[in-house]
Amino acid sequence: MSLAALDSPPNRPRWTARLKEFLIDRLGLETFAELAAKKRVPIHRSTVFYFLGGMALFLFGIQVVTGILLSLYYKPSPDQAFESVRAIMTEIEYGWLIRSIHSWSANLLIGVLYLHLLTTFIMRAYRRPREFTWITGLVLLAMFLAFGFSGYLLPWNQLAFFATKVGTDITGGVPLVGESMLLLARSGEEVTGDTLARFYSLHVVILPLAVLAVLGVHLYLVQKHGMSVPDAAARRYGGPEHVPSMPFVPHFLLRDMVGWYVALGLLAALAALFPWELGTKADPFGAAPEGIKPEWYFLFMFATLEQTPSHVFGLENKQAVVLFFSLVGLVVLAVPFLDRRADRGGPRPALSFLATWAVFAFVVQTAVGLGLLHFGLSVSVFVSGALAIAFRLLMLWWCALDRRRMSA
Amino acid sequence: MMEATSPSTPRRAWLVRTLQASVAASVAAIFYPVVRFLWPRRGTVSSAAEVVAPFTVAQLKSLQEKGEAPPPFNFDNKPCLVVLMPDGDLRAYNGICTHVACTVTVRPGHGDIFCNCHNGVYDLNGQPVSGPPPRPLEAYKVFRRKTPSGQEEIVVSRST
Amino acid sequence: MRTRLRVVLLSGLLGAAAMFAAGWSAAGDAAGAETAAAADESPAPPPPPPPPVPKKTETPGKSPDAPPKAAPAPPPPPPPPPATKPSEKPAPKAPAAPETKAPASPAAKALAKPGERGQPRPNQCLTCHAEHAEPRLRVTESDMAGDVHWQKGLRCVDCHGGDPAWEEARGAHAEEDGFRRLRSDSDLTKPPDPVRVVELCGDCHANIERMRPFNPSPRTDQLREYWTSGHGRRLKESADPAVATCVSCHAKPHGTAADPGKHGVLAVADLNSPVYPKNVAKTCATCHADAKLMAGRQYHGRPIGHQQYDEWSRSVHAETLLKKGDLSAPTCNDCHGNHGALPPDVDSVANACGTCHGKIAGLFATTRMKHAFERVGLPGCATCHGAHDIRHATIDMLGMHDGAVCVGCHDKGRHGATVAGGEAARKFRNDLDGLRRAIEEAEAKIEEAERLGMAIPGPRSDPRADARMYLRKAGDALTAARVEIHGFAAAPVEKVLAAGRETVAEVQESAESAIRQHHARRIWLAASLVPILLVIVVLVLYIRTLPPVPLAAQDRTPGNP
Repeated sequence: MSLAALDSPPNRPRWTARLKEFLIDRLGLETFAELAAKKRVPIHRSTVFYFLGGMALFLFGIQVVTGILLSLYYKPSPDQAFESVRAIMTEIEYGWLIRSIHSWSANLLIGVLYLHLLTTFIMRAYRRPREFTWITGLVLLAMFLAFGFSGYLLPWNQLAFFATKVGTDITGGVPLVGESMLLLARSGEEVTGDTLARFYSLHVVILPLAVLAVLGVHLYLVQKHGMSVPDAAARRYGGPEHVPSMPFVPHFLLRDMVGWYVALGLLAALAALFPWELGTKADPFGAAPEGIKPEWYFLFMFATLEQTPSHVFGLENKQAVVLFFSLVGLVVLAVPFLDRRADRGGPRPALSFLATWAVFAFVVQTAVGLGLLHFGLSVSVFVSGALAIAFRLLMLWWCALDRRRMSA
Repeated sequence: MMEATSPSTPRRAWLVRTLQASVAASVAAIFYPVVRFLWPRRGTVSSAAEVVAPFTVAQLKSLQEKGEAPPPFNFDNKPCLVVLMPDGDLRAYNGICTHVACTVTVRPGHGDIFCNCHNGVYDLNGQPVSGPPPRPLEAYKVFRRKTPSGQEEIVVSRST
Repeated sequence: MRTRLRVVLLSGLLGAAAMFAAGWSAAGDAAGAETAAAADESPAPPPPPPPPVPKKTETPGKSPDAPPKAAPAPPPPPPPPPATKPSEKPAPKAPAAPETKAPASPAAKALAKPGERGQPRPNQCLTCHAEHAEPRLRVTESDMAGDVHWQKGLRCVDCHGGDPAWEEARGAHAEEDGFRRLRSDSDLTKPPDPVRVVELCGDCHANIERMRPFNPSPRTDQLREYWTSGHGRRLKESADPAVATCVSCHAKPHGTAADPGKHGVLAVADLNSPVYPKNVAKTCATCHADAKLMAGRQYHGRPIGHQQYDEWSRSVHAETLLKKGDLSAPTCNDCHGNHGALPPDVDSVANACGTCHGKIAGLFATTRMKHAFERVGLPGCATCHGAHDIRHATIDMLGMHDGAVCVGCHDKGRHGATVAGGEAARKFRNDLDGLRRAIEEAEAKIEEAERLGMAIPGPRSDPRADARMYLRKAGDALTAARVEIHGFAAAPVEKVLAAGRETVAEVQESAESAIRQHHARRIWLAASLVPILLVIVVLVLYIRTLPPVPLAAQDRTPGNP
């Protein structure tokens, strides 16, 4: 895949070509080259969704690089953490840039991951033989959420401290093992310097290694099974193998690069125009700041907790909510096995409706968490359900239109 | 492998070259701040746990003999005073008066530390002696350290 | 004849038996007498000091009256004690009397007996007084436990005199044993004679020889001070039982006439002492906040009133003392004097305030206003700041607007106040306010710069200084200016303010340059976006030049073969 090969004069190969030869010869890189050459990306209406995985990978790369840079100056102890972040923001050259990019990119990454999850569900990319890709993907999502949670505490400011306190309080709500989980997470009864050390290790050592391992499996599986083709496209062309496709290299990859550069530009703009706040240093003995809440990607769960009355079905509201979301998580995990008609390409009305409802509920609850809406629990459920019904009816109508157009 | 089926046209060649150049430029635009970031600066003064005073023991001694004291320097974002006691001991204090938070001054001629706002007086141990201050000055750990050039520098650190 | 003898013998036997029985039961009672709960005694003054006695006894006294009027009652003859009972071991175990020479006095006889070290002194006083029927005279050992005199080994007899070995009143209260009567009559319902009380305390506390064994450098001028005080003078005019004496303030927490309080004197440094700094105001208030008691009482022709405690409680001094626990904050005695308690005269108010606020009082003393105040009879500092209700001084007190203190005189030219003075006040207010606002603005700018993530360069005059720390100088200048205005002269105030303004200006400049730098980041952004956008554009163009992907038959359209 040498750009140079395009315009190299026919006689002596350029130095880049010679270097390539040198490396391939010794490192056995031809396997990768072959794999890359063979990889193709199906072209259909949902092709744009294929970009999300690569975007997530790119943003993760940004996180790793900026994270490493930050770790060169950050000091993970309660009396130095805040000051070291302050120094990064105000005294170290371009520290503000690296830190703001790290914080913004984290949020972008999780947003992309949520979308990636949604679109793979829509495209039913979890169908046989890709069940493990789905499962590893969900494990990765959980790990990235843990990344977000652990990283949030590191600046040791008021918001971070109390958000962590509230968040770990909620993990205490897991039935049976909640207490132990809380103690493990906090490294003690309360959020202290021990918690900071533990979160730092999680964020910088444990989770990166774990993610690398699971990500490796995930990417290997993606390579092995190739890009999945959604059913509609397959039917249209008379089988997945007949769906037109573009080579990954260079067509798709270059388009990927465009997306990456757009993300880069966006991050630079966000960092320069909306720098990430420093906040005030955490005061464990003071009162929690008003309206403390977690980052947006946890808001839907937090809003649900706030809406739930203090006791539900004999359980404390914390426990009930944790139980509920754990069940939801299990259901999501089991989707490849729940979708019975996946293989045969049949519809999955129950799952689709539930998924639509879940997505609308997510949006509504996040809005409630942000304070844009003021709904009670039942109102949220009702509104998201109504929206889901409306949406599905719309989809039915649109599909019918589509079918008519196709057959016309 | 890249589809190299079509022959290179001048337009394509120009595009490729521009692409290479702009990618290189963008990479440089990324690398420049990263490199500047990596390069260590002179210790960040305000957040250090340990700070070297901007004067040596010898300088402090000669100033005190003249009845003067060096101005307070920044330690932990507060003004820091250093006093050389008659027996050679060093003391370092937070220079914020415990009365109404004015900045105090050392008066070696009088052998005291004075707050000009309401005539508060502390002794050289930081204890209030007369006037309104209700509590002693906060004391820091301080010690001497020999530099390679043979000078003795004064190091103030937060007591843990 | 035989019958008469028989009658006499029988009655004699019966009488003896009755007395025996009475004596037996009384003895039983005496044994358990220590637990008398009759706690409402007010402290009694120490008894006539036994000459050598180094031990201060706590007299089992019980001044039944309210402590302010305190005057302990001398023990009246107790209910018939068994005369025949031999002396039991004295209930209170007095520590051995340290050896000291005993000047000859009848009371000395009482102490002569347990001269050996380690031997407890007899102290039968509590045998009766622990369970005395008259509440004013009831004292138990637990009442005395905290008394400093008792702790030093003094006992009842050392203050009250008499013979402690006797169990019955007449012997115990013998005049020839030095028993001091604190009442001129024997009406126990009335409080004791205050003059006698004061003299009782003064017998030791005004005598260096007697005090020195207990304290190498004693103060012995309290009694002389007392006679110069408002209380003392009143006492000299008339033995007014309502006037405060030593025990009114120094004895243990006291109550009212109905609930006289306990006997005993606590050390001043003891938290529970009525004269512990935090408690002094309440102690004074027991009388001085009582409308009935203060009714009709005057000082220098003006009624004393009873509002002072209320006012002081709202003051910044009260807050500092009681809430912040700063014991150096003034309470009643710090301005009015301890034993020589008197309100400071009009021309000494500034001196009273100046004991703490020295710098300001010094400045004030140089002004024309001070002399004007004295001429007119205005009380110095208290004219503007209040006498008892002294609030936290703010810049808002200055000026000619509603609510400022200058308005009262300078608006209407009262007491010779000038219009120019009013103008000066207005200027002070504006200038100080201006600096304060400038400091706030500078702080806000610094915060904004930090929020934007910019490091603030040092000010021009000290490039290595931290901006916030440098700004402190302006804060110091503002504090200094607030002190300086008490000289009521424009030039010194202006000098201080000018320095402050300059500091603020420099800091603002630094903060602004930091913020400008932040804006400069947008330029960086634009610069770095150029290659990025360029790459995006060129990539898109390049992608379009890539060989087209073969399409399936269905997707081929005339325009896209």
